[in-house]
Amino acid sequence: MNVGLFLSRVDGAVSSTVDLDSLAKKYKDLASVKVYDNLLSGASQKSIIDEVAAKKLDGVVLAGQSPLFYKKTRNADRIFGLLREAGVNPNLIATVNMKEQVAMPHRSHPKEATAKAKVMIDVAIQKVMMSKPVELVGVTPKRRVLVIGTTVAGLFAGQGLAAMGYEVEFLDLPGREPVRAANEAVTPTLAYLQNSPRVSFVVSEITDFYGYPGNFRIAHADGRKLRVGAVIVAIPEDAEYTDKLYPYLRLERNDNGTFMNLHADTATVETAQPGIFMLPGADADITKVIPLADSACALVDGLLGHGDIQHELFVSEVDESVCGGCGTCIKTCIFGAAELDPVTKLSSTNFKRCVGCGNCVSACPTGAREQVSATTAYLVSAIKTLASYKASKGPKVLFLACEGCGMPGLDYAGKKGVEYTANVLPLVVRCAGRIDTQLILDAFREGFDGVAICKCKNDHCLNIVGNVDLDRRANLFRAVLKSRGIESERLRIFGTIECEGGYCVENTVSFMDYLKGLGGHSNG
Amino acid sequence: MDKIKAATGTLQGCFGCHIALLDLHEELLDILASVDIVRSPINDVKEVPKVALGILDGSVSNTDNEKVAKSFRENSDKLMALGTCACFGGVPGLRNLFKLDDVLERGYVTTESTVDGKVPSSKDIPKLSSHVRALHQVVDVDYKLPGCPPTPARIKEFLTAIVKGEEPKLPGKNLCHECTREHKEMYVPKREFLTDSVHAIMELDSIDDKMCFLEQGVLCLGPATREGCGSRCVEGNTPCRGCMGPTDNALEQGAKMINALASILPAGGLMFMEDVVGVGYRYSLPVSIYPHLEEGK
Repeated sequence: MNVGLFLSRVDGAVSSTVDLDSLAKKYKDLASVKVYDNLLSGASQKSIIDEVAAKKLDGVVLAGQSPLFYKKTRNADRIFGLLREAGVNPNLIATVNMKEQVAMPHRSHPKEATAKAKVMIDVAIQKVMMSKPVELVGVTPKRRVLVIGTTVAGLFAGQGLAAMGYEVEFLDLPGREPVRAANEAVTPTLAYLQNSPRVSFVVSEITDFYGYPGNFRIAHADGRKLRVGAVIVAIPEDAEYTDKLYPYLRLERNDNGTFMNLHADTATVETAQPGIFMLPGADADITKVIPLADSACALVDGLLGHGDIQHELFVSEVDESVCGGCGTCIKTCIFGAAELDPVTKLSSTNFKRCVGCGNCVSACPTGAREQVSATTAYLVSAIKTLASYKASKGPKVLFLACEGCGMPGLDYAGKKGVEYTANVLPLVVRCAGRIDTQLILDAFREGFDGVAICKCKNDHCLNIVGNVDLDRRANLFRAVLKSRGIESERLRIFGTIECEGGYCVENTVSFMDYLKGLGGHSNG
Repeated sequence: MDKIKAATGTLQGCFGCHIALLDLHEELLDILASVDIVRSPINDVKEVPKVALGILDGSVSNTDNEKVAKSFRENSDKLMALGTCACFGGVPGLRNLFKLDDVLERGYVTTESTVDGKVPSSKDIPKLSSHVRALHQVVDVDYKLPGCPPTPARIKEFLTAIVKGEEPKLPGKNLCHECTREHKEMYVPKREFLTDSVHAIMELDSIDDKMCFLEQGVLCLGPATREGCGSRCVEGNTPCRGCMGPTDNALEQGAKMINALASILPAGGLMFMEDVVGVGYRYSLPVSIYPHLEEGK
């Protein structure tokens, strides 16, 4: 496999700490290695794409900023679109959080930072090398949109979409229909909607929601089913209201329990779930609401109005030569994505429902289930590689961070300038539910002195039960650690949300201090 | 067809695997038509002659076991690990949870019936190894047939394949595939435990002999255990204890059962009926990712 490694100085933010040139030399066996000032400029993006074609690259490692940076900064994710257009499969692209997890937090220790960058890049290369291309399916988008909440913002967005030719269904939960007094600004819009053949108003509870951008399937309490291409959430900022929708929409939540947009300044209408958009609640200032509603219309039309959408099947797969049809995954999956195949009597994945969280992969007692985005073999090899980091003294900790809160938390701490020892070696997993206890045991075998797991706190897990299942597994598993002479306190689990990055590092640092007190742990 | 020469031997174990071989009864004659067993515990030959196939049961637990294992390896074209102890260390492997000195002390000194006990020491007594190991952890092994003990039928199938020069194969799925008990709740896609409570089988007045044990709140290791034992225990209305070891895709058995139970039974089957380690690693501790208590801790 031809792999290209593209290192970014992030305009000095990384290169002031990490010796990128000496690192680049260590990877001369790869098909392509290049160092750029940043990966955002047109020139560097063109150079990368040219390199993909010239060196026939199958996989790419982008070592610069966190994947969250690309996701949350408007248009920064363009590089991924370009790579895909150039023929690089999305599952063969890996990122290294060089700025947030190496350069910033270890800026006083450049030597250690460079050594840590080396093992983290190695892990990313392994991820690319050990992954298979993810399957892409073309989705013909439904030209229908669900607007949840007939708030002022919701009404304006719905009207805009109806005017563009989309069917619009407005949904209010029972007891949540706003009472609308005559209002000069809203009445004409309401009148437009009430008399439009493409618009309907419904008061109902949602009982099921699944699918992907372009084709979401919704079931109502009255048994009615609906397919829409996109969803706009325009509910008041109300934790109770949010609670009712959360298990279905799985949007990130603020500390106060309400839904959060993708980025407060640059992506206010988008959410972390593609195809689901959000608008401010009822009481917002109308002069601010109308531009946002227009913006939502433009984004929905951008998604649904331009032919087929490519959807990536980042799911859990079943090895039928090993699955015995015990049903454990069916009992475990909160999304109803694990099913019994009526013919083979073995487990199968409903690709429309699977979100790829990997909880069933951990639960599967035979190892028949595998996560396409991060195989067990890759995670085992990553743990071994991270354990080989030897540049710092003191206890060494494997920091398993979930994509939902753990990694954002660690990134946030780095960006805020919190410094901590380079002996904290991060490995990102999709969800806490993906943390198979086998991996924890493996980390201790490989010589880590402690394992810290940073997951979403309380009811913030984007996969609803991943953090709960991790806790249950860990509670049982502590007896196993103890039986091997590993103090069960060497496994520390804590919950966080993104903006609590400081808390997550504080917790890790106090954990390191605790481990120092325990003394070294080495597998004899 | 020419007969092939074979030798059998036993390391630390209960001898049950050899008994299982004898349990072939008259079918043993079919085996003996093509296999000449030139050395076995029965004919009491001390040395291992050159053979096409060496068969060892038991785990490697002392210096003598190690010597015998190496001698078998040296003199056999192909070496077969017969039974759970040889494949995974088996029940004797649970000793790995203790320090060697503590094991000896407990065995020879502090047992309740012992008066003035002393740990024996003589150069004529093989030295106990610090850890129990499976055969493949000491010498290269060509074939592995787990089971405590393996069924006579499976032994015959293995030997017949080997004689024919074929690679003997184990079925690769978990016991649930082979088990004929009825699954109902396990297939209901609902995040609920199967039962409100967990029971040891002796606590129950009766056990439904047609229904999945887990669905009756009885701990069964079947999901994390390879099939191929003929489901003798579950057919006999006794839950699986896991003697066939993990499937090929699992890194180890104990951790996998923990992961699975967390979403099946309340409090993981009441903390595996209060002995997670003894239950989860009963047969396979020496081949666990972390196979023993860390010495000096």
